[in-house]
Amino acid sequence: MVVTGCGAVSAWGWGVEPLRQGLRSGRSAIRPTTVFDTRGQRTRVAGEVPPPPVAVVQRIAEWAQLAMADRFALAAADEAVERADLALVGRLAGTFFGGSTAGMLECERYLGRLTGALAGHPRLALLASQQINGPGDAVARHLEVTGPTYTVSSACASGGLAIAAAVESIRRGEVEVAVAGGADSLCLLTYSGFNSLRSVDPEGCRPFRADRAGLSIGEGAGILILESLAGANARGASPLAEILGWGSSCDAHHMTAPHPEGDGAAAAITRALGDAGISPDQVAFINAHGTGTPHNDVSEARAIERVFGARWSRVPVTATKASVGHLLGCSGAIEAVATVLAFLDGAVQPTPGHGPVDPSLGLDLVLDEPRRLAPGSVAVSTSFAFGGANAALVLAAWGDAA
Amino acid sequence: MIRTAVITGLGAVSAAGCGRAPLADAFRTSSITLTPVDRSAGYHRLQRSRLAALVGAAELGQWIAPLVARRMSQSSRWAVSAARMALADASLELDPQASNPVAVVMSTAYGAAAVTEKMLRQVQDEGPEAASPALFTESVANAPAAQVALAVRAVGANITVTQRQAGPLIALGTAAQEVIAGRAECALVGSVDELSPLIHSILDRFGALAPADANGHEAARPFDRRRSGFLAGEGATVVVLEEATAARRRGARALAEVDFYGSAFDPQAPRTDWSRDPSTLVESLSRLLERHDAALDDFECVVSGACGSTRGDRLEALVLEGVWGERRLPPVLAPKALTGEHGGGLLAAAVLAAAGAEFGPTPGFREVDPELGLAPFDGSNWVAPGRLLVSCLATGGAAAWAMLTRAGQ
Repeated sequence: MVVTGCGAVSAWGWGVEPLRQGLRSGRSAIRPTTVFDTRGQRTRVAGEVPPPPVAVVQRIAEWAQLAMADRFALAAADEAVERADLALVGRLAGTFFGGSTAGMLECERYLGRLTGALAGHPRLALLASQQINGPGDAVARHLEVTGPTYTVSSACASGGLAIAAAVESIRRGEVEVAVAGGADSLCLLTYSGFNSLRSVDPEGCRPFRADRAGLSIGEGAGILILESLAGANARGASPLAEILGWGSSCDAHHMTAPHPEGDGAAAAITRALGDAGISPDQVAFINAHGTGTPHNDVSEARAIERVFGARWSRVPVTATKASVGHLLGCSGAIEAVATVLAFLDGAVQPTPGHGPVDPSLGLDLVLDEPRRLAPGSVAVSTSFAFGGANAALVLAAWGDAA
Repeated sequence: MIRTAVITGLGAVSAAGCGRAPLADAFRTSSITLTPVDRSAGYHRLQRSRLAALVGAAELGQWIAPLVARRMSQSSRWAVSAARMALADASLELDPQASNPVAVVMSTAYGAAAVTEKMLRQVQDEGPEAASPALFTESVANAPAAQVALAVRAVGANITVTQRQAGPLIALGTAAQEVIAGRAECALVGSVDELSPLIHSILDRFGALAPADANGHEAARPFDRRRSGFLAGEGATVVVLEEATAARRRGARALAEVDFYGSAFDPQAPRTDWSRDPSTLVESLSRLLERHDAALDDFECVVSGACGSTRGDRLEALVLEGVWGERRLPPVLAPKALTGEHGGGLLAAAVLAAAGAEFGPTPGFREVDPELGLAPFDGSNWVAPGRLLVSCLATGGAAAWAMLTRAGQ
């Protein structure tokens, strides 16, 4: 299973290149939120996507009718398909998407106008992407994909589970090509929700740091084009990376708190490594879920310790959320893109943030500068969700990359 | 050894009541009680659709402790209750103190709509400080699946599918793969949706719901010339899926076998309606049947997602006609005429049909639409099908199909 294209929209901008440069810089794109009023919230920051370039708006004919999450999805999908140099029409292709809020931002405007909390007419057009399958369907419609269209909404594990579903669909021979990933936009529901749980860091999230105080919500999209190696070779495509395996599990422990010993997380990683036929010793780095909440980071560290044994404190760990925020249902997708970029650059991206790394976690957090990767490296990318759903992906560099 | 997935238990919370038996009775007698939707919030327009197949005050005390239930959304309560009913129906006991390698796959179209609305109104009317963390926790679409996992300590995959009307079959297919691949010993799979007044009003404003006729009668009329929209519905259905050999080994009674499933997308479909042109889905379904060597003559019944919508039923009829061609179409059940538009109703009907339950005539149907030429099952000479096709075509372009076989066929 190979990745032949990738696309992204993030707080660093529209496209993979701004994301690549941003991640390598070791800085954070988390900044003051402008999309709605943040008065009364514990935090005023988010990984908000900047306004789109004119070229992106002009390229997508249906732009004006789309919800924000749909726009992110279409821009990233177009980029991924272009990067893969792929003509989808006439191919047996499927769309596999993860999301948690889809058109909720627009739905909130509808509700506010309907109840009088906001000024304006409650136009039904605001609800066209209200259901969570909106962005995935929009991509399928835009790319004229006629195979399976599958949207997972398992909170923060959605993106990882969507990529896993795409892998399975290709393995079963249902599709030749999968457009897999996710998209989510900022909205009051999640912003205020995590605020109500006191799970947000007013300064911006700092995963695995000793004084971490919570997460920062982000938005955007991450898309991978997946194909079988035989299929990619047959059309002369150049793989960017491989997906070797996936695993999933459920904590069945608590609705919001992770298992304190990382039971479910460890099970998902172990299953992914088993599916990939890879031993923990072969893993060169981990793109961690790393939300920056005190409990989540402890749970994840314990899971890493359990899976990687004596080597656990020497496996480099990076946390993309420190750079772009927590993209919720899309986080697993954007972090899979970040992992592919690490392979292409031959280096693990550093984790932004300040303050000392939490010594009790014992992790080797990549800091300050990108850390070089050996050729043929293997990485694990993790996603752990509300409600205990967990997903892990095993990816590998292609050929001489990394 | 070829592994197959069989359905060994069915649980449901529906407008017919709690459990499998009341729903089976409703399908047999073609009757269910419709309830007026609460319009007191002022979201609705006047003189439009007023009734829906609502669950009402379901007695769930046998399945979920009140102290636990009060912390859950309606959707989560129904899902947990239906899951426990399904396990009881399957005579399958899971140790709540042990970690059970059980997958949970649920589908939902609207998620926890009532909880989400309540929380958003707190934020918009009173400010973010008023937001309830308990509401937020239950507002996520995967809350019912998570609560099911918590209730039975299911540590396998936990997946929530959101693909509108196609979701229940995609969930069934996803769960079947978990079982067939050996990643889970069994799976709890189903669909849950709660019809809040806001969702009902939005569907009504979109013109999707069947309005009252001149006699004040509201009904979905699948495939009927006079059809004018669907009846809204709600509820939860959960089935137990097990690997066939393992189920036999423990002496379980299989209700149906999941032969195969598949899904597709029609990019020509508008975002909030069904496509006019059936050709893409005809090609997709034909390819699916060919891939699984399924002969059309094998099907003794089609359980259709037709719901009374003008374009949706037209598309369904044209897709079936396009695939069957000159062959005679087997009896077509349209259970959404009874249960209203919610995925759980269709899933339950399909499993019950495969399990040999009796079905009555399609409520609301009277006149064949000459363009479609399709009359759904009229209640006469019902023969329990040995093999059936389940079809779900969704607004926006998604479609899913599954083939179920009566156990032992």
